[in-house]
Amino acid sequence: MEKTRWFWVWVITSLFFRLVLIYFPENLNLGFRPEVATPLTSLRRLAEGYWLKQSSMSPYAGSMYHGSPMLLSILGPLTVKRIEGQPSHLMCSLLFVVADLVTAMLIRATGQTLQLAYSQSLRSLNLVSLLESSETLSAGDIAALVYLWNPLTIITCVGSSTSPIENLLIVLSLYGACLRIAPLAAFGWVLAMHLSLYPVILIIPVILLLGYGPDAPPRKLFLQKNSSENGNSPSCHGNYPCNEVTSQEKLPLHPFLWRPVMHFMLWASFWLFYVFVLCSISLKQHGGLLEMLKRTHGFILTMEDLSPNIGVLWYFFAEVFDFFRDFFLIVFHINILFMILPLAIRLKHRPCFLAFVYIAISSMLKSYPSVGDSALYLGILGLFINELAEMKFSFFLFCGYIGVSLLSPVMHNLWIWRGTGNANFYFATAIAYACLQIILVVESVGAMLNHDRMLRKNSTVKL
Amino acid sequence: MANTLSLYRTVKRLGIPDDRIILMLADDMACNARNKYPAQVFNNENHRLNLYGDNVEVDYRGYEVTVENFLRVLTGRHETAVPRSKRLLSDEGSHILLYMTGHGGDEFLKFQDSEELQSHDLADAVKQMKQKRRFKELLIMVDTCQAATLFSQLHSPGVLAIGSSMKGENSYSHHLDSDVGVSVVDRFTFYTLAFFERLNMYNNASLSSLFNSYNPSLLMSTAYYRTDLYKRPLDKVPVTDFFGSVMETIHTDSAYRGFSVKGTDKAEIKAPLNLKASQAERRALSAYHQDQISDFNKEVCSFHCIWSTLHKTVVEKIEDADTFVNYGLVVIIPLVAASTWLWR
Repeated sequence: MEKTRWFWVWVITSLFFRLVLIYFPENLNLGFRPEVATPLTSLRRLAEGYWLKQSSMSPYAGSMYHGSPMLLSILGPLTVKRIEGQPSHLMCSLLFVVADLVTAMLIRATGQTLQLAYSQSLRSLNLVSLLESSETLSAGDIAALVYLWNPLTIITCVGSSTSPIENLLIVLSLYGACLRIAPLAAFGWVLAMHLSLYPVILIIPVILLLGYGPDAPPRKLFLQKNSSENGNSPSCHGNYPCNEVTSQEKLPLHPFLWRPVMHFMLWASFWLFYVFVLCSISLKQHGGLLEMLKRTHGFILTMEDLSPNIGVLWYFFAEVFDFFRDFFLIVFHINILFMILPLAIRLKHRPCFLAFVYIAISSMLKSYPSVGDSALYLGILGLFINELAEMKFSFFLFCGYIGVSLLSPVMHNLWIWRGTGNANFYFATAIAYACLQIILVVESVGAMLNHDRMLRKNSTVKL
Repeated sequence: MANTLSLYRTVKRLGIPDDRIILMLADDMACNARNKYPAQVFNNENHRLNLYGDNVEVDYRGYEVTVENFLRVLTGRHETAVPRSKRLLSDEGSHILLYMTGHGGDEFLKFQDSEELQSHDLADAVKQMKQKRRFKELLIMVDTCQAATLFSQLHSPGVLAIGSSMKGENSYSHHLDSDVGVSVVDRFTFYTLAFFERLNMYNNASLSSLFNSYNPSLLMSTAYYRTDLYKRPLDKVPVTDFFGSVMETIHTDSAYRGFSVKGTDKAEIKAPLNLKASQAERRALSAYHQDQISDFNKEVCSFHCIWSTLHKTVVEKIEDADTFVNYGLVVIIPLVAASTWLWR
């Protein structure tokens, strides 16, 4: 009780802190920083696109706005609405604060589900002593608080960027998949993919979550348990019947259920159709669906805007020859895609962690990264705090993130505003940031696999 | 100086903005120590209008007004440091008005009492301009003594020139302002301004009416113009082609499209050929051609065909797209909530 009370106190304080910061937007000037607002997520560009739409021109004219027309209909009127004496974009910022709160609550609920599943699977493996020996923290609460109090999240929320909505949709799809609610997972996935292209790779963890259930130790352990003992009670969720395991059969404890996956596919196609119909109606005079796909997803894939950001692609594409441009675009995008399959094979028993790794990789290698993406995966990282307790280099990464967050705006200022630096200064911080993310991904995957090995060692010892 | 400033004001009144005007003034009058009205220049003895008030942008003043700079402006051969406001940024569709006034003589025009612009230099500069495609039509107006000799050497097509006096004749000033002590405006410029004072932006006065308004007895000289290099008949050319900025507007019924539509929708626009057409003829027609659907049905129906017929029949019937989209968006939330709640 004490813990939950403190939890809610911290949540309310973080919301209050955001509201305080919203009232100083001119001082902070965050909407103009390249780390916060990319060509895809900038709220100023959305306001421009909304104005173009209201002047009965295509919102994509002039290559300013590159987002979804649905976002234009929701956020557009809010950017225009001005209340006397209040800062501009107040309504939008309030909406983003609400989105952050909902995301944090969803992360907490996901964490609670994961923790429940984890303790159940440990109990079924007779590793309960592990539960009691080590101090397990409530991962959901900690992850929610990490998400809310992460300075990067606060900057994204206050800094007129539409990333909080994308983060909300991704977390919504993960939550729906963990609780095996197919329509919710499908809705979150379809909309997240619609807004920015990269969550499409999350279909694999979502399908694995729907089929296998939340994160669990590797199936080999359960097979060994089955072979050594007679019968175990499986853990089941939702309204899907689970198979009973008899002592003679060697069925895995968590069989892959196809029915939720089929439902997910149906709901996903329904939501996709709905979104496409709405978008084509919205843009019927300005080129329709093809124009929208060309200007949003085509813009992401062809990397037309080379303004500097915290990623590593802009520097390269500023100097590549046109002859090789398509080739290198394919290389960079396959760089994300080719890691999907090996990771899926290795981490298929832990789909939520797989989703975290995918999000981290895509936010590192995407065309227009921003700190909003790292806010998301740092929040989800908090969900695995029990398993990743033994992660190496955690202090180095923490200091590295702080260092890069401080140095990157300084280098940008030196380059653009003072003229005493050049692009290499800024790109150096971008490279350092990418290195930190790589170390984070590699070390976290290593720590998770070490944890699985430790579980296996303990369960075989028990035998 | 009053001549130039008066014509500058007229041209601005008729719609040409400052960034399309290059004004070269010796600019020694307004702040001259002997000017009884400092920083004020009048073109009439009634002192009704101060030409040198605010809203005058002089691009070349004082020592910058040289023959070299003038020819550089015409031909566009500037040093790299010259700002855009001092360049003549014209292209092959431009109509240019060139008005020169001052002291002149047989085949020359005086610059700043120290240099001369010769008629063959001017002709060469215009020839260069034509070769570099810097104008479509050029009107040269000169108000000096023996003005017509200045453009006697021109031979580029598309050039129309008028001078205030012929060879051997002087151009005279209009009246003397006894208060200031000098003559304030020249006759040719005075009658030009009088013509334009009667005109507003939407009159369709033609160049021939301007040229015919010069009365030799009033001007005390013969205003001579040469049209041999100019193809269009003068009574068909509106004065606002050179002196003002009036665009031909064509009214359409459909909204502006920011991109090119391929294929299905065609808009018909009837452009009026005759400027004196009535209002009814100026309206343009644009319509959605619904008979394109029948063409589609004859093809073999692929998925694209199905989608486009669906698109046409369903989507285009919806008139107010925005409210429909808003309803659709609002419906999403209860739909998601209902499906989630029912699923549990």
